[in-house]
Amino acid sequence: MSVIAVPKVRSKRVTTGVTLSRRTGMVFVLPALILFAVFIAYPLFTALSYSFFSWTGIVRGEFVWFENYVTLFTKLPYSTDIPNAFLHNILLFVGAMVFQNTIGLGLATLLHRVGRFKQFFQTMYTLPYLVSPLVIGYLWSLMLSPLFGPVNAVLRAVGLDELAQPWLGNPQTAIWVVVIVTAWQWIGFPVLLYGAALGGIPQELDEAASLDGASAWQRFRSVTLPLMVPAIGTVSVLTFIGAMEAFPIPYALGGSQGNPAGATDVLSLLFYRTAFESGASNAIGTSSAIATLLFAFIFGVAVLFTVMLRRAERNLT
Amino acid sequence: MRRRILTTTALVAGSVLALSACAPSASSGDTEAESGDDVTLTVWSWRTEDVEAYNAIFDVFEEAHPGITVEFEAFQNTEYNQILTTGLAGSDGPDVPMVRAYGQLQPNIEAGQLEPIDGEVEGLDEIAESVLAGAKGKADGKTYAVPLATQTLQMFYNKAIFEEQGLEVPTTWDEFIEVNEALLSAGVTPMALGAKDDWILPIFADIVGSARYGGSEFEQKVLAGETDFTDPDYVASLEIISELQPYLTPDVVGVGYTDSQIQFTSGQAAQFPGGSFEIATFRNQAPDLEFGSYQVPLPEGAVLDAPVSPAYADGNFAVNAKSENKEAAFELLNWLATAEFGQLVADELNQFSAIPGVTYSDEVMQEAWDNYEQGQAPYLLLVDFRYGEPLGTAVLGTEIQRMFLGETDAAGAAATLQTGISQWFTPGQ
Amino acid sequence: MTATLTPTAGPRGSASTPPDAHRRRRQRPTVGGFAASTFLWLYAAISIAPLLLMVSNSLRTTQDMAQNPLGLPLPPDFTSYQKAWVTASFETYFFNSIFVTVASVVLSTAVSLLAAYAFARTRSKMFTSLEGLFLSGLMLPVYLAILPLFFLLDSLGMISNLWSLILVYAALGIPFSTFVLAAFFRQLPIELDEAARLDGAGPFQTFWRVHLPLVKPAIATVIVFRFVPVWNDFFYPLILIRDRDSYTLPVGITRFFGEYQTDWATLFAGLTLATIPLVVLFLIATKQIVSGLTAGMSK
Repeated sequence: MSVIAVPKVRSKRVTTGVTLSRRTGMVFVLPALILFAVFIAYPLFTALSYSFFSWTGIVRGEFVWFENYVTLFTKLPYSTDIPNAFLHNILLFVGAMVFQNTIGLGLATLLHRVGRFKQFFQTMYTLPYLVSPLVIGYLWSLMLSPLFGPVNAVLRAVGLDELAQPWLGNPQTAIWVVVIVTAWQWIGFPVLLYGAALGGIPQELDEAASLDGASAWQRFRSVTLPLMVPAIGTVSVLTFIGAMEAFPIPYALGGSQGNPAGATDVLSLLFYRTAFESGASNAIGTSSAIATLLFAFIFGVAVLFTVMLRRAERNLT
Repeated sequence: MRRRILTTTALVAGSVLALSACAPSASSGDTEAESGDDVTLTVWSWRTEDVEAYNAIFDVFEEAHPGITVEFEAFQNTEYNQILTTGLAGSDGPDVPMVRAYGQLQPNIEAGQLEPIDGEVEGLDEIAESVLAGAKGKADGKTYAVPLATQTLQMFYNKAIFEEQGLEVPTTWDEFIEVNEALLSAGVTPMALGAKDDWILPIFADIVGSARYGGSEFEQKVLAGETDFTDPDYVASLEIISELQPYLTPDVVGVGYTDSQIQFTSGQAAQFPGGSFEIATFRNQAPDLEFGSYQVPLPEGAVLDAPVSPAYADGNFAVNAKSENKEAAFELLNWLATAEFGQLVADELNQFSAIPGVTYSDEVMQEAWDNYEQGQAPYLLLVDFRYGEPLGTAVLGTEIQRMFLGETDAAGAAATLQTGISQWFTPGQ
Repeated sequence: MTATLTPTAGPRGSASTPPDAHRRRRQRPTVGGFAASTFLWLYAAISIAPLLLMVSNSLRTTQDMAQNPLGLPLPPDFTSYQKAWVTASFETYFFNSIFVTVASVVLSTAVSLLAAYAFARTRSKMFTSLEGLFLSGLMLPVYLAILPLFFLLDSLGMISNLWSLILVYAALGIPFSTFVLAAFFRQLPIELDEAARLDGAGPFQTFWRVHLPLVKPAIATVIVFRFVPVWNDFFYPLILIRDRDSYTLPVGITRFFGEYQTDWATLFAGLTLATIPLVVLFLIATKQIVSGLTAGMSK
């Protein structure tokens, strides 16, 4: 993954004969497209269409236009739960960008510089990703338990008693626990991806800059970082989507109600309990509406962001 | 281009359909129609803990009913509703599914997935009204399943700790407070409560408060529309929870349900407000633990004049409307309504059977059952207020958490509960 | 691993980098370097703490854990492993899991590589929209699609068929894989394609001989990040597979979750066993990634 040192001279427009024709392109895309169309596009659009009907159990009733959507904004519990959950999703995104991706970038850079034990560290950092979602909640609840957990025990042992809280019982801290645990699990992703990106940056650029007298930080800012923009963009978009759709970890730590007192509630949890745990017969209609709104939002933002990203990429080259 | 994509997709879809004709068939050949030959009934459940016990139970049935084999299968509890719904909708479902009670049963009934059993099963009239109500359709009043178990709610206590501290089971409210105070000063957590898991909180509320707000009397009034949850007696019952907070673990909202079970089984806490379903767990986790249960005495101003154990029906057996073995299924259901099965439920599953006339060899169970027979009440929110969204139990659970955190008080909690329920509940039905 | 086409600035080359790095490190044992190392080790410890907890608890009994949640497994008790292996029908489920996961990841990565190449190397608006369409598949909440998928597969008679899982998982992997791979493909300079074209290579050969080797680290990353969620997924098999012999490992493991009590020791033992293949895969994959980076890719 590299960009040539003198990019401005070469114009990307000199591409005749090398870019793929529509036809060839189509041939390459077709297998994925078919698989996608049958097993994702079809269920996705069908499920989204559910939101325009009223349901009794799994029997579809009549077409009700936007009634289900109106319900979401006017009736309890949705009218209070949705803004609350949405806020938490945004918090998860911000938290992930700040903790997960920044630390991930830092770790990747450090590993790149240090070089030794690289594979060992990469493995250590990605191992959490391998832990089944079935037990992440239990393991972390146990570790953070105010009664039995080692975290508080350690804090007290080093004299930081005030910090020994009921982490998962305090609405202020609970959501941040979700952020930290998510970062813990996913940090391998930016570490690996940024690592791959860093590996593609030619060393000569870095060496040339240091010969010019630039400090490590300056080199990072002016040489490395700009060349990492595409990778950062990719990771950011995926982080955004992941944060808006977060489900396994909030569910594992706070249950389907987003305990304590809704402090860890996210939109996917709301969807889950509306669809699967309520006694209402129109569960499918309402939950599909939630999912459709979520989807529309993510789609809009992601598209916007990708467009801006492509533009930035083009400007850089 | 778009047309080409469409035609290609259509071609592929078509070929997949053709291929599926050669796809291996799903299940292992239990598709015999009722021909008097051997029939295999599939029974589904969420009780993964009980698989071995049920296999033993159904062995008894199979001996008495040659020609019918019962295959019992249990799935993860949290995903069960979805598994069941898709199973009943598809072509591969169970013959006799275990189904939830009360509100969570309704979606399956309304979708026509279950077969009504009035007239097909004998012995239903022996079962208590309030328990059978959990197996009926709210809209049409028909019975769709045979109730399996009753769960009662009470206060468990550690006999060894009580002896050590020289304490006796309290019979008045003052004695109850004294016991808790004594335990607190002795450095033992008086009551273990996993407030992080919201579902345990309405249980706690009814254990300590049901007598205060009036048990089934209150239930009748609310259902008829004569009062609602902002009633001063109900608010007072919630205030009891705040009163008792000092006797719970500090920062109780950080303690999970599993943690609270450990507190009790390891002897760190002396009492555990919980359901009869805990008995099997405690026996399993701590076989040496000596414990008993009692009904929380009447608080001041209680509407009732005797303590009660709130209770509810837990689980029913229904018949899949699409089953190809309905005759055999009804045979099984009839057996499930007999005292013989009820006794097996008691002996093998350590649960209270919904069928009357059962004796419990486990003394803790017998004690709890006796208490229940002397003073009954419905576990109000679960029994009557899970027929719509939001669930009554979910609202109150979250509100009690907020009470513990100091974000609201009893009056506020009651008001929020009422607002939530009035989204779908209309009295007088 | 050949990087035959090197139109610009001298090859970084596999030979030069590691000695360079070593030399640099030995020359400057700075405070910064020490702090960096400490940070790396500290974070590594935090990273695996819960995992160690899981393995440690798998060597105890559930009763023991009920008395003393954080005790040490002394002496270690291996009965849970036996119980997990038998109750969760490990031999059958293990094989099923391997079959489903490997097949779906191979399928998904293969079709995604082809599609990503096209997205990176075409210019028309149609492909941009297709790429957007694929990306939108990432935003599909997993639980939402279960009902239509179930009905689709039921009508095709493909419930309880491992192939339906494979196809579903493969399809689910396409959005993520194409997104990441396309980004990496885009970074390969167009000059490589031009040079290949001059050598007489057609689009597929350019793809196969030039592009593919250069994105190996990305491929390895994508494989890891698709393998793990498929291997660990319990939801789709729970709903789409009814035949007990076709269950995958996670489904078997959900058996240890009771309604009110969970058999923790057996659960952890089962999960430890189930996690081992992932660790093995990961070690292989990261070796690929690291070697790929130091072998002087793309210049």
